Amino acid sequence: MNGWTVTATVALAGGGAAAVWGVATGPLRRRVVAQNLSTTLACPALLLLAQGYRRPSYVDVALVLALLGPIGTLVFARLLAEDLHEDPPIGLTLTWVAVAFSAAVVAAVCAATGPGRAMVKLLVTGALMISGSLVASRALARGMPKGGDRHE
Amino acid sequence: MTRRTTLLHALSDFLLALFEVLAWWAVLAVLWLVLISVVDALELVLGAAVALVGAVAARAARRAVGAR
Repeated sequence: MNGWTVTATVALAGGGAAAVWGVATGPLRRRVVAQNLSTTLACPALLLLAQGYRRPSYVDVALVLALLGPIGTLVFARLLAEDLHEDPPIGLTLTWVAVAFSAAVVAAVCAATGPGRAMVKLLVTGALMISGSLVASRALARGMPKGGDRHE
Repeated sequence: MTRRTTLLHALSDFLLALFEVLAWWAVLAVLWLVLISVVDALELVLGAAVALVGAVAARAARRAVGAR
């Protein structure tokens, strides 16, 4: 056990439990936000675990999740577009909290890694993680762009 | 004259396409270099090749989205 793994465990246990609770209960607008937050939370936890176990290659898992997680949320945003349009998510404070936590984790892991290619990889992962989360939550709150290719 | 203009247009289109693919290629090749664990000759060759495929695909995707 070290500080990294403890923080990751707290994030996964606390945040994960909250996310599961949010996804399983309440109105749709809360469920989709909680689903998006679960990814936003799992990514930094994976970065912390990679640092905690000193296995830099585990960062790849966080990288893949940072790519696929927001895409999953966008699928929900698209499929549930009509329901979300009637009852959109309000107050994205939690999203910003999760994003701030992600940024702090990336900064801490970067500081521990030191300059080099590994740090650039961490920064790329962090940028994907944060921008993906913000794009996905924006799509949930404001709806998908209405193109001519929508089949309804 | 008209034919010459057409030729010039085709040439400029080609150069623009080439420039775009090269720009995508550079970005993707750098990304590959950052993400691999060990930098050696094989990885460089493979990365350059895969980045080229990705660059052509990226341009195609960009055009497909832009044409909507």
